[in-house]
Amino acid sequence: MISLSYYIACAVVLYIIGLYCLASKRNMIKLVMGLEILVNAAHLNFIAFSAYASPSYIDPFGHSIVIMSIGFAGCVTALALVIVTYAYKHYKTLDVRKLRRLRW
Amino acid sequence: MFTLTLDALLVFMIGTPVVGWVIRKKGYPKVQGIYALAGLLVAGYFLYGLSSEVSRKGIVLIAGFPPFNPPLGACLQIDLLSVFMTMLYIVIGLLTTAYSIKFMERDSSLTEYYTLILGLVAGMTGVVFAGDFFTLFVFWELMCLTSYALVAFRKQKWESIEAGFKYLIMSAAGSATILLAMSFLYGMTGTLNFAALASRLSNAPPEGWLHITLALVIVGFGVKAAIVPFHTWLPDAHSAAPSPISAILSGVLVQTGACALIRILLLVFGSTQLAWQTTLAIFAVFTMFVGNLMALLQNDLKRLLAFSTIAHMGYIIFGFATVSEEGLAASLFHVLNHGIMKSLLFLCAGAFIRQTGTSDLRKLRGIAGAMPITSAAFTIGSVAIAAFPPLNGFWSEMMIVAAGVRAEMIVFSALALANIALSVVYYFRVVRIMILEKPTKVSRKATKAPMPMLIPILVLAFLCIFIGAYPVPYIDASSKAAEAMLNIGGYIHAALGGL
Repeated sequence: MISLSYYIACAVVLYIIGLYCLASKRNMIKLVMGLEILVNAAHLNFIAFSAYASPSYIDPFGHSIVIMSIGFAGCVTALALVIVTYAYKHYKTLDVRKLRRLRW
Repeated sequence: MFTLTLDALLVFMIGTPVVGWVIRKKGYPKVQGIYALAGLLVAGYFLYGLSSEVSRKGIVLIAGFPPFNPPLGACLQIDLLSVFMTMLYIVIGLLTTAYSIKFMERDSSLTEYYTLILGLVAGMTGVVFAGDFFTLFVFWELMCLTSYALVAFRKQKWESIEAGFKYLIMSAAGSATILLAMSFLYGMTGTLNFAALASRLSNAPPEGWLHITLALVIVGFGVKAAIVPFHTWLPDAHSAAPSPISAILSGVLVQTGACALIRILLLVFGSTQLAWQTTLAIFAVFTMFVGNLMALLQNDLKRLLAFSTIAHMGYIIFGFATVSEEGLAASLFHVLNHGIMKSLLFLCAGAFIRQTGTSDLRKLRGIAGAMPITSAAFTIGSVAIAAFPPLNGFWSEMMIVAAGVRAEMIVFSALALANIALSVVYYFRVVRIMILEKPTKVSRKATKAPMPMLIPILVLAFLCIFIGAYPVPYIDASSKAAEAMLNIGGYIHAALGGL
């Protein structure tokens, strides 16, 4: 059996990839994908921890959280894509840097 | 199922589309607003019953039957803090919904609007009711999703789309961070029930993963609570949303983030050996300074109010960071006062925008001549929020500073006092522009705000004066809520019993 720490390391790396994606990408669709990567890092962590909770069985608690959270992530993505669609209709571009009319 | 209050909100939320579908053929768009008002009133009535039960028992536990009772199953654990916060949500929700009936009459898709408002109030209520991290996360996501949709509600405008997208990306990243923190807590203890987490992590040594989890919790909730440097979504979202929504977002939603943060810090990390109080106080002081200094530079009324919200989040988090009963009580009292004052100011700003079509302060010069009642209410709100003695803001802001001094955070308290002085400058600038300067073309042409919009404004202005004149019962209520917040032993006992 693979040691638990590999899974945690993988989740942390995924989380960092997600943050990097949010910070550096220009395409709005890619930003939404970055969000998905962030959420999935946490999901992977939950699944790994529930599998290693006890040597004899898999804890279903982590799985139930992940199933609910996948649903929420789906809702957030759907809403984000709706907003992206409206932004595209308005600006005819998906480049998030063109959306800089807001003052800081 | 989830206590009658929350059930009423959820049932009316699901019922709103049905009502909207029925009346679409007949064409009485106001019926939906009245239906949403009725929903909030029913929830308020049930909350009254719940509050007497909570004050009798201390903590009401709503959980499944064995084996799905805590710590395994999800549960709601309602104490005086939850009741205190929910009272505020329902009052602000009622007033803003009443205001929306007139304010939003020119907009389309009102059915969705009222559904989302009820969903937002239900989500916030669930967040303060939750007894475990999983339930909290579910209601947290309900609150976040509805608020994203409400910020981007006027989807024809570029401002709402941009602000909505920025808010969605930042806040969803914050939620993902909370989820990651949850997964680490689950990995360390095998449970997510607050009471079980508190008892299993008590006296835990400050080792690596616990530090990381603490940082993730502060960042995740800090995005919603607008702690600097995670505040950049707030001025955009609050100024792009329709004004009644800004009132809810600014008045109660960011405070919900702060309350959830402090509840988790106290329950889960309160008994560990981590020193998070000073960290939180430093964040709070930065938040105050950035909010106040940026508010000085704004020429847009709603952005100014939004930056002032950031500054006030700084005061509230500073009060929480003292972790004394006084500091928590002062902060909760300030949550109440700030909710009332900031909703008042945003609703007045909404009235100005509706009557003149602009929120630019340079064009709103001398508006008091054309809209005397709204301007008078705005002045009352500004004087209250700038902490002038007879009004409500004074009491809570001074209580926060005093609690800071007594918790031996004297430098931070002095900085908070300096910030309160700074906020006087920009609020008086706004009042001066509105009352003393010569009217411009835009402000001369404005007409008085219609009566249905003035009633919520006047109720809130009256509350500012009333709480200021007679603050004792409200201070009592907030100190009882603070006592409930610090009663961690009782919280654990109520959930786990003899375990």
